[in-house]
Parts: sequence; C-alpha cells; structure tokens
Amino acid sequence: MGAPRDWQFNGVVRLTAIGTGFVLTTIFIGFAAINTGNNSLYIALAFMLACLLISGIASRGGLKHIRIELEGIDEAWAGRPASGTLRVENRSPIWNVRDVIVTGSELASPLFLPLLPRRKEVKAEVAFQFEKRGIAQLHSLDLYTRYPFGFFLKKRRVRLSGEVIVLPRLFGEHALRDRFTPIEGENYASNRPGSGSEIHSFREYVRGDSVRHVYWKKSAAIGRWIVKQTELDAARAVHVLVDPYKSRGASDDDFEQMISAAATFIHDALRRGLEVMLTLPRVELRAQGSEGALAMFRALALIESRVEPLTAVVERGTIVFAVRSGDERKTA
Amino acid sequence: MNARRREVEMLLLTMFAAVPLYATATISFLPLLLFHAVLGGIALRVSTGRSPEIVPVSVVRAFAIAYVPFYIIDAALISRSAIAASTHLALFISVYQPIEERSRNRLGQRLLTTAMIFTASIATATHILILPFVVVFAFFMLRQLMSVSHAESVASIDSAPHELPTTRAAGFYIAATCSLAIMLFPMLPRVRNPIVPGMAGALNNATTGLSDSIDFNRERTISADSSVVSRVWMSREAVPFFTPLRLRGSVYDRFHNNEWRQAPRRGFVPVVVKNGFARIANASGFTRAATVQQKMILGSRLFLPAGTYAVNAPGVIYEGPPHDVYSIWQTVRSRDVVSYEVRLARTMIPLRSDAPQVTNYPVTEPVAAMARGIVGNDTDPMSQAGTIEHYLMTRFRYVPDPASIGRAITVDEFLLHEHRGHCEYFAAGMVALMTSLKVPARIVGGFYGGQLNPLTGYFVVRREDAHAWVEVWNGKTWETFDPTPAGFRPGNVHSGLLQLYATAISDSVNYFWDRYILTFGLGDQIALFADFISRVRGTMAMLRSTNARIATALASRELMITIGILLAIVAAIIALARRRRSLFDLLADRLQRLGIEVGESMTMEEALIELRRTRPDAAAAFAPLIALYEEEQFSARSDRKRRAMLRRALATAADF
Repeated sequence: MGAPRDWQFNGVVRLTAIGTGFVLTTIFIGFAAINTGNNSLYIALAFMLACLLISGIASRGGLKHIRIELEGIDEAWAGRPASGTLRVENRSPIWNVRDVIVTGSELASPLFLPLLPRRKEVKAEVAFQFEKRGIAQLHSLDLYTRYPFGFFLKKRRVRLSGEVIVLPRLFGEHALRDRFTPIEGENYASNRPGSGSEIHSFREYVRGDSVRHVYWKKSAAIGRWIVKQTELDAARAVHVLVDPYKSRGASDDDFEQMISAAATFIHDALRRGLEVMLTLPRVELRAQGSEGALAMFRALALIESRVEPLTAVVERGTIVFAVRSGDERKTA
Repeated sequence: MNARRREVEMLLLTMFAAVPLYATATISFLPLLLFHAVLGGIALRVSTGRSPEIVPVSVVRAFAIAYVPFYIIDAALISRSAIAASTHLALFISVYQPIEERSRNRLGQRLLTTAMIFTASIATATHILILPFVVVFAFFMLRQLMSVSHAESVASIDSAPHELPTTRAAGFYIAATCSLAIMLFPMLPRVRNPIVPGMAGALNNATTGLSDSIDFNRERTISADSSVVSRVWMSREAVPFFTPLRLRGSVYDRFHNNEWRQAPRRGFVPVVVKNGFARIANASGFTRAATVQQKMILGSRLFLPAGTYAVNAPGVIYEGPPHDVYSIWQTVRSRDVVSYEVRLARTMIPLRSDAPQVTNYPVTEPVAAMARGIVGNDTDPMSQAGTIEHYLMTRFRYVPDPASIGRAITVDEFLLHEHRGHCEYFAAGMVALMTSLKVPARIVGGFYGGQLNPLTGYFVVRREDAHAWVEVWNGKTWETFDPTPAGFRPGNVHSGLLQLYATAISDSVNYFWDRYILTFGLGDQIALFADFISRVRGTMAMLRSTNARIATALASRELMITIGILLAIVAAIIALARRRRSLFDLLADRLQRLGIEVGESMTMEEALIELRRTRPDAAAAFAPLIALYEEEQFSARSDRKRRAMLRRALATAADF
C-alpha cells in the first residue's frame, strides 16, 4: 500500500498555494474596486470571481459523474502488488475531466488519469496491494483533481464494489524460505493415493473422476465402473498438514506467520515440480504445478483459527504447520 | 503544450499584460519599454532553447536587493506615486522571476505577478478596447493555469507530464467564465468605502468645449472631440418639430471687458415640481416627450433641449446660478451620467413675467450704424432679428479654426473689419447689433445638431457639437436665431451610408459601454433590483389571475358534468372488467365438465395429471391450453395477446 502523500486530506476540498494567491489577489482587487468605484476593476473582479466559481463547479461537476468499476484483478498475494483493471467512466454530459488522481488504501500507488472525456469510459491498469490474506472487500477509492485551474484540490470518494481473495503472504527472504524447502526423501511407499506408478486401491467411480482412470477390466467383471487409484510417489510428493488451532498464548501474528510459512513451503514445493497434498480441517487438496495450486492457496487464504486442535493421523513424512505459543512452529 | 512553448507563452502573456500601460500612461514610457525589451530578449532566448538568464542570476539578485530602498525613492521622489512605483516593482519582479526560476519552481507566483500587472493596466483604462484585452488575456491566463495545474498534479505523484491540448478547453472555460462574469458584474456591490474615500481619482478628466464665459481677449481655439455628451430619444413624429437639437447649457447676457459672461442669479432656486415634473416654463401649442441621457460635463448642469418646459429627473432641479440655466442636485459625481425625461413645446412662455433688459454691450456708433443699415426702416424686433441673422449668415465668412485669424479680435472688429469668425463671433455680433437696436438679446451656449443613430433611434450629441446661438426677446418669450451659416454649424459633416452605419454601430457599442459598464453604479443596481421585484410581482399576479380563471372554469357546471360522465365511464369499465371471468374459472369450468373438480388448493398442473389418468384423450387436448395458462400466470409480464388467444381457444375447444 502506498503511503499517503502530503497532499492527501480528509474532507472535500482544499485550497492550493496558487489558489490561495488567487483568492488573496481577488480580495485585493475587490477592495480596490469597492474603494474606488472603478468599474474597470469591477470587470476584473467579476472575471476573477467567475474563474473561482467555474473552477469549483467544473471540478465538482466533473468528479460527481465519475463511476469506477473493478473489471478484474490478477492473483493477489498479501504484501505484493497485484495488477488489476479499473473501468473509469465519466458520465458528465458537460465536463471533460483532466488530471484525476485515484488513490485508495488498496492501491499500491496512485493512478493518474490525464483525461476523462465526457460520456466516455477508459480502462486503466492499476496495481493493488493488500496487506492481509483473506477476503478483501473493495469499498471505495478517492478521486483528487486540481483541474481546471489548480485553485482547489477537490476530492470525491467513489464507491467501488468488489471482492478479492487475497492469498497468504509469502516470505521473501531466502534464508527463511530455505527452512521450508522440501527435501526429496527416500523412496518409500507413501501409502496415499496420488499420481504414481504403483496401484494403491480400487474404488467406485464418482462424478468428476477422469475416464482415463477407469479400470475397464474390473468394471466389466462386476458390472459397475471401478476406478484404479495409484499410489503417490513419496519422492515426488509432499503431504502438508496445516493445523489452524491457535492456543490462548499465541497471537494473531503468530497464526498469520504460520499460514505464511505453509504457503511459502507449498509455493516452493510446487515450483520445484512436486505434487503437494494439503490437509486442512474437512478439506484435502491436491496440486501439482499450476494445476490445483490456486485452490490450495485460496484455502489457505480463507482458513481461520480454531479453538480446537486438529485430530488427524499424522503419517511419516507429513509436514505439519501449527502454532502453539509464541513463534513456535512444529514440524513432524 | 511542451515546457518550452509554455514558458514562451507565459513570457509573452506577461508582456501582453503590460501593453495597455502605454495608453493609460500609469507609468512613463521608458521603464515600460525597458521591461518589454528585457522580457522580449528572454522570450527570444527561451524560444531558441537557451536559458532565460539574459543577465547572470547573481546580478539580478543584487538588483532585487537594491530595489527595496529604490522602491521608496521611486515612490517618494521619482514617480511620486505609490501606484506607479508599485507598477514598476511588479514589472521588475516579472523580469526577475523567469531568470530566478531556473532554481525554483514559481509558475504560480509568476502568473500572479502577471495578474497584478494586468490589474495595473486596466485600472485606469476606460476605453472599450479593454474588454477584448481582458478576454484575450484571460484566455491565455486560463491556458497557463491549466498547464500549471497539470504540472503540479503529475509532480505530486512523481509521474511524467502529458502533452494535452489546452486550447479547446481554455476556449470552453473562457466562454463559461465570460458568461458568469457578465452575470456577476451587475451584482457586485457598488458601495464605496466610506472610510477611505477616493484612493484613486475620477476616471474622466476631460473638459467640455463650453466655458463659463466667452472671452474675446484670448485667441479662441476649437478642437474636435467625438466623445458623447448626450443622447436624446424622441418619438418619430416629434423629430421634424424639435430637430436639429439645441441643448442649452449656458446663457451669456452680460458684457464686461471684451468678455461675455453669465449674469448670476440669487444662488440656486429650486424649481417647483408638479406631477413629478419640475416646471421651468409654460407650454404653448404642440408638445411632445423626450428622454435625455447626459454626461455631467459641467458640474451638475443640465443641457436641456430647446423647447423644454418640464423635467423629470432623479434629483431636485435648481435654476441658477445664471438665469434660465438648470442644474440637478443629487449624489452624482462629475463623471456620472444622468437620465431624465423632458416635455417639449414648440413655444415656451417663461414663468416670470418681468421683461428682460437689453444687454450692457457698449455699442459703438459704427456698429449702431451697421445695424440700422441692415434692418432699414423695419421696427419689428423679430423681423429685425431675422434680417440681421440672414445678413450675418450670407455676408460673413465662417472660419472653422479661429486660430487661423492669427489674433484675438473684438466683436466690433468682427463686425466692422474681419467679417469672419466662428459661431461665438456670429452670435456675439448679432447680440451687439440687436443691442444697438435696443432689443433684448443674449448668447446661448450649448450643443447643436446631433446625429441620428439609425440602429437605436436616438440622437447622439458630441463635444464637437458645441455651438453658440442667439435668443431674442419678442415681448413674451425668447425666440431662437442662429446667424452662423447653416452649412458650417456642427453636425453638418455628411458621410456615406456605410460610414453612417459604422458610426452608428460604434456609438451603440460605446453607449452600452458608457451606460452599462463604465457608469454602472448603485443607482442602476437598485433600479435593476426594483425592476426584478416588479417583474416577479407581475408574474405572481399573472399566475394568481390565471389560477383564478382556471378555478372559475373548473367550477362551471358543464365541466363538472363532463368530469362526472368520465368518472362514470371509468367505473363502468372497471366493473365490467371485474365481472369478466378469469382464465382460471374458465379452465375450471371446462375441466368440471370433464369430471375434474379444481379446488382452491389445486393447481392446473395437478388437474391435468388427474385428467390424464381419467380422460387421456381430453388431457391431450387440454395440455397445451393448461401450459399456455401456466405460462401466462407465472411469466414476469402479462401478455394481452396470449390471454386473448387462450380465451378464444377455451371458447372453441371441443367438448369431450
């Protein structure tokens, strides 16, 4: 998230330096006009007041008719910029608006729109940045403009309806990531279904199973579709278990660190081409390469802490991510 | 607009802002020329891609430090005017800023300095040309402001500037600004500061071509001055009787030391007002009304059209100090314009019955002999005056430029030797001749002629129309004679039609400028406000009257009957619609005939299932009808055609 600039403010309008100078000059000329009754000065005064009014009307009228919609956003990882597209429409029948700066707490940096013609829409690429994983609701964006004459910095908050699932934060430091680098273990049977060469078990066909996995010989013999499950190759696979239990002594930050650690571990494993099986309460997900990865990270993004520890059989070689207290992480 | 172009435009704008100073002479020529030369040099350097540093920054800074005490010296000793010294200072700053700006970003400040120069330029300008100047200046100012605004916006987010076109946008905003300024201008308060009155003097320092006396000891001069003194509106049928106009402003009836003076009255005497009009004479015969707009060029003196017997002006009318000369007493300053209505009569009878005396002109024997020679045996004063008028008109030569005579001449010299002069000599000569005949006569000063503006229908009288003529007492009233040859009187310069219209347009614009811009004041604002209130009241009254008429019309028996009939028709339609059986009932009836009782809690779908079980043949026929019914019943929008089709199908469906 970009830090607020010194020109950002709470409110609707702020006088700029040049605007202050212009207002003071207008007051001076107004005093001179009233004092002398000189209609030439009154002409200048009328023009200057008209400039101020038009400036206010134009900036207000221009910003008033701007609508912004979120057209799409790429994978959003906490703490990393994610590119998205905003559709900005100027519905004003009169005012072309220029020099619009769009800011927001979710934008990585302000977006500058040099020209928004009236009754037109433009699409703008923008970088979002979210600080926390989970569902991020996009509520509003702030529009600023000095247009037309730079006397006022006008602000308007526009509604933005959108929901983004922010994936967990990945650790950036190599040292930290190395701690969780999956190591290829010995070639022992994983005793878990997965993409391997050895037969693990047979089961009934369920909707969604690939037809390639149907064991035709056995299906013909018993008159029902039977699917052949292969056993996961242990050397090419890793089983990760994330226990969302948060003890009383653990803080939210500890919990988030644990999720980030798990996500970083899975991310690295997938990048190395390993198949990852993730076990979460009531959910078991599988991913290899990019296939299934997003669902896995989404599950991690949405996981919430629990007050009860996860009761599951931890097999040999399973990587367990859990938080007990403090910054303690335990792997088994 | 790229940076270099913007910089050049800003420099040229600053130079342009100072151009009117040449005409208004607020400051002397030399510093202004120096300013334009230096700024022009900077603009030239910038346009060729070089730095604006026409002199080293250190030198300019040293000048800036030195200028602080110099400003005081300038105000106190050199210019002897704070306004001129401040204008010098603004010009110096505007030269200093672009050189200094290499190290600092002062675009906004530079524009404000330019605005200050612009203000100094127009503050003392009264010519209509300042209006296009203001518009052009404002256009480029807005362009610059938009560029500065853009530059500040992109700088605030560390972005690169875009080269956006600004001309159309500036055109749009200047149009909007002008429209708003036109509305604002009459509304801005015209209440002068009561604490520090008149920091700047009156704008109009021109003097009239008329003077308090006609001094023949000095060489007389005439200078052409086309500035407008008065505008007179009168109805078309009045024009033949009251034109050429003669606006009377001075009466010279006392001679002293070769100088004609205005005999003083006993101070200012208020004129009696009757029915809103100040009565200055009694009317006789044909009368008409006219409206006069007059610039106050000689104190508060009114220049009334000859024939005026009553005046309705926004102030008290006084006679004096001279006889038969009128002034207005109101809170107007010398530069203000006053509008008033007058009543004109072909013949005016003075309110006072006392007969005037013959002037005290020292008639010499040659002049008396000349007068006798001209009139002969004629004894009627009016006839004598006519003869003398004709004599002077035909025998004497008019000199457009009195200076061409080469010296100041007396009236006697004019009559006896020179036989040439301008209108004052002709008038004075005739008065001298009438005096020698013991007939009361006097010189009248004012304006003559005027030019009809065909666009607006008023007569325009200018300073160059200043003229002198004669009034001769006929025993009851003063009669006008003008011995100046008619062809040489003011307003006799004939021009082509094109020039006439060009002049008319120019005068109309000037009139608007004078009337509604330069001299627009508190009184006009009050009048405008009063007019607005009056219009609002009128509109309200009209609406009330219209409402009353509508209410009366509504209360009429015929209308009530019509409304009653309409209501009855609507009620009948609703009743008939309600009595019409619903599709559900129609279907239920048909199904009942087939042995299916469609209860309240039963749907047609369920009835169809029952029908399929009991009467499969009938079910096949009714299935599409029930489907159509269901579609109509549960679709988002009811379809009239579908309903009609279903009704027809049910009516024609065969009985099983």
